[in-house]
Amino acid sequence: MHHRFTSTVRTSLAATALTLATLGPVFYGLPAAAETSQQTYDKSDIILVTTVINATNPYMASWIEGSKALGEKLGLPVEIVQSNGSSQTQIAGIQALAAKGKKIVLVTNPLAASDVPAIANTIKQNGGYMVVWWNMPPNMEPADVGDHFVAFGTYNGVTAGECGAKALVEAMGGKGGIIALPGVLDSTVSQERVAGLKEVIKDYPDITLLDEQPANWDQAIALKTTQQLVAKYGDEIDGVWTADDAMMLGAYEAIKKAGMIGEVKFSGEGAYPPVVDLMVAQPDGNVVAASSFHRGYKAAATGMLIAYKAAVGELDVATLTADQRHGQYAIDCVTPENAAKFQENGGIDPTWLDRLVADPFMDLVGGKVELPNG
Amino acid sequence: MTSLSETGSGGAARRRGLAARAGLAELAILLALVAIFSVLNPHAFPTLTNLNTILNNAAIPIVIGVGASLVVLTGRIDLSVEGVMGAAGMAFVLLSANSRETADIGWLAYPAALAVGAVLGGTTGAIHALAKVPSFIVSLGMWYVGLGIAAVLFGYEMIPFLGNEAAVAWPTATPLGLPNSFVLALVVVGLGWLIERYTRLGRYAYAIGNNESVARMTGIPVAGFVVAIFAFAGACSALAGVMGSLALGAGSATVGVGMLFLTLAAIVIGGTPLGGGRGGALRTVTGVLILSTLYNGLILVGVDPSIQSGVSGVVLVAAVIAAGWSQRARLRVFK
Repeated sequence: MHHRFTSTVRTSLAATALTLATLGPVFYGLPAAAETSQQTYDKSDIILVTTVINATNPYMASWIEGSKALGEKLGLPVEIVQSNGSSQTQIAGIQALAAKGKKIVLVTNPLAASDVPAIANTIKQNGGYMVVWWNMPPNMEPADVGDHFVAFGTYNGVTAGECGAKALVEAMGGKGGIIALPGVLDSTVSQERVAGLKEVIKDYPDITLLDEQPANWDQAIALKTTQQLVAKYGDEIDGVWTADDAMMLGAYEAIKKAGMIGEVKFSGEGAYPPVVDLMVAQPDGNVVAASSFHRGYKAAATGMLIAYKAAVGELDVATLTADQRHGQYAIDCVTPENAAKFQENGGIDPTWLDRLVADPFMDLVGGKVELPNG
Repeated sequence: MTSLSETGSGGAARRRGLAARAGLAELAILLALVAIFSVLNPHAFPTLTNLNTILNNAAIPIVIGVGASLVVLTGRIDLSVEGVMGAAGMAFVLLSANSRETADIGWLAYPAALAVGAVLGGTTGAIHALAKVPSFIVSLGMWYVGLGIAAVLFGYEMIPFLGNEAAVAWPTATPLGLPNSFVLALVVVGLGWLIERYTRLGRYAYAIGNNESVARMTGIPVAGFVVAIFAFAGACSALAGVMGSLALGAGSATVGVGMLFLTLAAIVIGGTPLGGGRGGALRTVTGVLILSTLYNGLILVGVDPSIQSGVSGVVLVAAVIAAGWSQRARLRVFK
């Protein structure tokens, strides 16, 4: 009895809410864009915002480029919040833009997972929409937080780590010593990629993982760290696995300066244009085995577009699938064989953005990333 | 390790004795680290290759340390190191033959980069001295100004790689038995030592650090010298930025990452108190060598990466205590 009563109330409440939500845009005199359950706005009431950790890293540079390209396509300016390595600066920057009065459409690559709740709150109060990439607290789900947190996207770090590792051990002939440069120890992304590496070398008994030294995602630190490892292991090093191409370029220079280039193979992540060039031109021989391809350009444009479509009502948040709200996007494995394909235009097909605008989820390939057991 | 200010006081001889002892303490720490790491990794640590690795790593912080020590001698501090390195390093790369083909002014790129550093440093000094703002906060601001300039120069394009392979290979080459970078660092140290010892700039730095009001009363144009010292420190950081770019073979706005902490810690471990008036560039060399050996050794003996920074923090504090032990009674004011 009690149950039935509650469920009746619930149904009628839901129906009322739905009706109100559907009629909402009409009452507000906004374009009656489809039937969405969330609050929608006119394009002129929106500002596009993106946050970057800094602007001096090639990934971030590409990210900014992607945000701006989409902004241009949508005919809206893009505000860039630079965190400069500070969570506080990042959140304060978003709050300052929120205070201007327009509704925020945000795509963010947050500095730390722990920043996401504060950012989500700011967006909720503002009435805007956001999409988050890469970092989010482990127990958080966009669907639990609310419509304003439209989606979370990432790339499968395990797959990325495996791409580099597989090509690396094959290039090494299945035997020898590897040094690994993860990003930072407490980064989920880095941990996933390292898990991918370890998963691959399980099947190669003659491969030894000599050492693992985090190099802070930084070219200069990777150079210095590799120099110490060269002093420690010398000729035992046959392969260098890195969790990111910036670190690979630093390690590459260190190995080159040690006079060992040609004897050591490399793998990276991110397929930075200079690394793709190394695979194609091979100035020091065929030494770069692989790097997985994805671009800040695509991530930023995809995320911003999803949040934008939610804001203008072209996309109904309530009907998004679980994978769309928390999913992983396509990466390619670039090797010397196919590298030439990824050289032109930074590896981005010129028609990509137009196709994206038609289908913001076109690069989505799956749901949450699961770590391999053990 | 023998240079110390002669402040004209009666206790000069005794002070010199203390300084010698303090210098020995730092050397003892360095030797102890070398001994410990050699025992823990006899195969890789005590080798010529590794010695050259450590010296090559030490070169950049030593060069920064020469300028920074002079600033600290006056009782001031220069926190702009990493920003100046980024700005000067990026300027150097973009003015040299590089993959972005921005410009190539040949060898002039070197003095141009040093000029960028000297201007940034001189500006820090001028704002500090003329507007009477603590050097701590002005140089902190200048750090970000430098990083900002580096970021603008980096732009949104791809990493610029240096085209001159001979120049890129130069720092780690060892025609004289030691890495060129370290030899260059020694030359800069020699220059710093000569400045401290034989020029008005250096002598006044000690005088200002020892007692600024007395220095003013004796008619030393403190502001002018402070600006010059900051400009020199900026040029040293700029040279370090150029060396860092050559090491990378590429331009990076973060070429100086981690250098500020390393250099300041080395200055203090070396025995130049942040209060100023004592110490100097030569002492900083020992400080840098201690920290570079520590960084290298922790990796070579296989200390887990997650506890490396903890261990180096502990060793750092222990080194400062040990180095200052003989002088602890003389510290009248401690803040």
